[in-house]
This record gives sequence, structure tokens and C-alpha cells, in this order.
Amino acid sequence: MDNEAAFARALLDAEAAVPEWIEGRDGGGAERRFSVYRNNVYASLVDVLAGRFPVSAKLVGDVFFRAMARIYVAKTPPDSAVLLRYGGGFADFVAGFPPATPVPYLADVMRLEWAWHGAYHSADAEPLPQEALAAFGPRAERLALTLHPSLRLVRSDYPVVTIWELAARDGEDEPVRLPAEGEDALVLRPALEVEVRRLPEGGAVFIQALQDGATLPEAAARASSSSPTFDLVASLAGLMRSGAIVGMGESA
Amino acid sequence: MTYQTKTISGVAVVSAFAAALSIVAFAAPAAAEDEQEKCYGVAKAGENDCAAGPGTTCAGTSKIDYQGNSWKLVPKGSCETMELPDGRNGSPTALERDRPPA
Amino acid sequence: MAASVSFGTSPVPPRGGVGLKPEHYRTILDSAPDVGWFEIHAENYMGEGGPPHAYLAAIRARYPLSLHGVGLSIGGAGPLDKAHLSRLRALADRYEPALFSEHLAWSSHGSVYLNDLLPLPYTDETLTCVCDHIDEVHDAMARPMLLENPSTYVAYAETTMSEVEFLRAVVHRTGCGLLLDVNNVFVQAANHGFDPFDYLDAFPAEHVREIHLGGHAEDEDAGGAPLLIDDHGREVADPVWTLYAEALKKTGPIPTLIEWDNDVPAWEGLFAEAKRADAAIAAFRKSEMRP
Repeated sequence: MDNEAAFARALLDAEAAVPEWIEGRDGGGAERRFSVYRNNVYASLVDVLAGRFPVSAKLVGDVFFRAMARIYVAKTPPDSAVLLRYGGGFADFVAGFPPATPVPYLADVMRLEWAWHGAYHSADAEPLPQEALAAFGPRAERLALTLHPSLRLVRSDYPVVTIWELAARDGEDEPVRLPAEGEDALVLRPALEVEVRRLPEGGAVFIQALQDGATLPEAAARASSSSPTFDLVASLAGLMRSGAIVGMGESA
Repeated sequence: MTYQTKTISGVAVVSAFAAALSIVAFAAPAAAEDEQEKCYGVAKAGENDCAAGPGTTCAGTSKIDYQGNSWKLVPKGSCETMELPDGRNGSPTALERDRPPA
Repeated sequence: MAASVSFGTSPVPPRGGVGLKPEHYRTILDSAPDVGWFEIHAENYMGEGGPPHAYLAAIRARYPLSLHGVGLSIGGAGPLDKAHLSRLRALADRYEPALFSEHLAWSSHGSVYLNDLLPLPYTDETLTCVCDHIDEVHDAMARPMLLENPSTYVAYAETTMSEVEFLRAVVHRTGCGLLLDVNNVFVQAANHGFDPFDYLDAFPAEHVREIHLGGHAEDEDAGGAPLLIDDHGREVADPVWTLYAEALKKTGPIPTLIEWDNDVPAWEGLFAEAKRADAAIAAFRKSEMRP
């Protein structure tokens, strides 16, 4: 059935002619009827992206966002029937999309929203209770931590968390001057609620090292090397309090 | 770029760990959380469906080629109220300035 | 949270059921509405964890469930996606749905998922292909599947048999059951110009295990002929309820799903539609008891 290839091609390319063996009622023309399919493919996938990146859509407006999403859909249609997986490359596409350059932080806000989506649907795990953490304390120098499967880091040269919070607000938008410093975000779903936090200096390097399997001293050394103001106590307390630690073990 | 890799002693890590634990232990516990009663944020959109979307005979037909001159849209949302330290925001003027030379 | 519990077998009753939407999770758990059962779109629960699974498990513990796939592309020319089949099987093993259904349609071509239920020509060649796919689904899922009749907007010049003939042949060859979407019958009849009651008369009602009812939008094609769009975006139309009453005479009381996927109303709106299906089933039973 080579029909399928021709049908699919005509669906995705609005300029392609409807195959002549496609008929309307009583063998009549099918251009407008075929457009139901053509439009539904695009409209439904654009809807998926608009629902997945709601804050980004607010930032640039629905009209701009949907037009941009339509181009992405044409360029990168889903490769899985599981639409929960669709949209992972959209932020990178937007980063290189000339009409979006007036909003240079847009791609990072989209990376934050993709991380939120990933955390929402990630595997579940129980954070270690304080007693369990305390029991490991004396051996901390040899420990590697298992972090929560929902944990994601988003590092940005822009104040991505501040922008995300401001744009997510409903109501009148007062003009605001954004801070100059970039922000690193920790996205985590310890139970059923996704939480987004700003990380202190060096925090992202520390957590990334732990995710890569480094022991606590190794991860702390990497973080201190990248940020002289890295505060190990504060970063550890942040991980403990947010429920990011689901396991510990002595490194092999 | 080279980093002077610092080393952190095991003793420092053990004491930092203990200090962090005590901070967490003394922090006021969040108000009694009953997970069953909590209203979680539920993501609604972006789902697989078996229906045709609304208005499918007219939505999404126009092909927009952003590389040609036909792309006339500018970001028009809450980005307009956010000013970057260099004075830029997502306004049409900024677009003119950032547009690559033809 | 991901604790494995056995839900046991809870058959889907011959009553009105509702397509489960995330916006109704809380209301359903808080108010425990008297609705017969719920149906889910399988693909929306193919994430690893999080709120969708937590809510589904809680709702499944209280109601019977039907699993409705939208992405298997049974009517596609290429091979079925084996990874997708395993995901479906895992979902079915986890939630133990009493019914499992998919569509007579295709939605993937090569590695591209088109996210629409696309039509296929009805020929000997496509019949063989569909039957092979259903055999494969039966093997992979270890439970019978129901095949749903589609809504379509175009026809194929090469089609050699009617949709009902095609479905009859599929049932005969594979032993699958059928999901009769009454709104799709109505849409199909309007779009292709036949009598929906004739379609029902010819439909192999003895193999129907589930009915779908949904809303449609009205449009017209380039020639001014009516073109109905299966948009699940409103209440079930009155003539579809009439057709449903006729279908019940052939199938007997049977699980009947209300589908409302676009412009989803507050829970009460869906609940009222499910109650209307209950009332239609009750009216049918009453008419059966008359001498």
C-alpha cells in the first residue's frame, strides 16, 4: 500500500496536491475534505506543544507561539505514538529561530518547562527520611547519593526562574526590569507536586556531579572549583529539605 | 579555561553533612501534609486523543515560511513587560534590530 | 506510590461510562459519582509515574476500567510498533481493564506519528494486513481486542467492499470483538451519503461488546454537501441518541461510553450524558419486558 506514503506526504505538506485516488462523496473532489485531516494533524500537534509550554506561549503570545510551533511540527513531527514524549527538541529549535531572537531567554524558559513536564511524568520514588540521612552522616566522606528520578537541572545565562514565575502569573503585568544574573533551576517532584527552585552559586555543578555518581567530597570539590562562594552546608540542606535524596551508598 | 581543582577533606564533608541535617531538622515542618487531601497541580493539555480538533477545516491551513518575507509576526505577550538589563524586551523594534541582513 | 496492587476482575457493566479526563480526577475521587465505569486513552498513561498514575490507580480501585488505544495504527501498511505493543501490555497488566479496544485506522507512517485516525481503503489486501495486525495484538496482549468503526472524511477510489463487509470479515478471521461507535456511524452516513439505519442493520451486532457516543461538529464540503466532524467537543446529538436506541435493540444492554475530549465541560456535563445513556438502557429493558 504505497498509498500510505503519498497520503502522509500530502498531509504534512500543505502545498502538495491531494492524491487523485482520494475521493469525496460520490467520487467527487476531496480537497476540502482532505484538509480536515491535514489541519487536524497540525492543529492537534500545535495544541500539544502549546499545552506543554504554557508559560513560553504567554511570553511571546499565542499567535506567535502557535505559528512557531507549526513550523517545528513540520520540521520535526513526533516519532512516537506516545505524545508525552513530544517536544524535547523544541527549545533547541527556538534557540535558532530568527523571529524569536527579541526574546533571547525564550529557549531557556522552554527548557525549564520541558524539565517540569519530565519531572511530572517521571518514575516515582520515596525521599529518604531524616533518620535514614542521619544514620549515613558519619560515613558522609565515602558516600555517593542516589538522587530522585524526577530531578532535573536547568542552567541559564538569564534569570530563567524569575522570568518563569513572572510570566506564569495571571493578571495585569507591571513592567519589570529583569536581574542581570543568570539563574540555575532545580526541578523536582518528591511526591506528586512538581517544585521549581533557584540554586545557589555552584549548586548546579554540585548536583550534576552527584548525578554523575561522584562522592560527596568529589562533588563538593568540583562545585568549589567552579564557584568560590559555593556553600556545601546550604546545598546539602537544600537537597535534604527538598526530598531530592532517595538513596545513599558507599562508592565502590 | 582551566580550573584549580580544590579538594575537600572528608572531615569537612562529615561536619557539613551534620550541619545540614541539623538545619533541616530544626526547620519548621511544613503544615501537616495529608497527601490525600492535597489538590495537586494536574497537567491537562498535551494528550493523545481520538477526536478531530475543533475547527479543523479552517485551522492551520496557511503555510508560513519564516525565511521569506511572509513571516510578519512578532512576540506579543508578557515578554513585552520584561526589560533585560541591556534595555531590550520582546518588542517589534527589537525585532527590526535583530533581524539578520537580507 | 507505584505499589503494585491487584484490582482483580471487575467487569464493565452495561451502563453509561465516561472517558476519563485529568480535569475531573479530583471531582471523581471527592464525590464518588454513580457512573458505571471509566475509559482511558492508553497513550496518556505511558509515562513512568507521577499524578496520572496516582489518580488512575485511585480511580481504578473504585471503578471498572476500559483501555482504549489511539496510537497502534492497526490499519497501517507497515509492521506494528512492537515497543508500543509492550507498553500497552504493561499498562493492561497493571490496571487490569475489563475491555481493550483500538481503531480501524492508521496513524503512523514509517517513523512518523501523525496523531490522527486516518482512513484506509477496504480491499482484500488491506483486510489481510489488518487481520495480521489484530492476530499480533491478540498474541501480545493475551486478551481479546475490540475494533472500532471509524469516522472518515474521504473515500478511496480503490475500495472494493463496504465498511461493514470489511469489519465482518475481520471478526470472522481474527475472532476480535467490535466497538460500535454510534456517532461514527452517523458521521459516516452523512459524509458518504448512506442511511445510518441500513449500516446498523448490516452491522454484526452479536460481536459488539461496547458502544461509543460522542459529539460532532457540522460543516460542509466544497460541493455544499454536509461534512460532519467527529470532534468530541459537545453533547451527543439528538439523532445519534435515536440511532443509539436502535442499536440497543440489536446489541442488547451494553457498556456505553460518553466521549468528550475537546472543550471538556465540568464533570456535571459528562455525568448528565452518562445518565442519559443509563436512561436509554433502562428504557430498552422496559420495552423488552412488555408483552
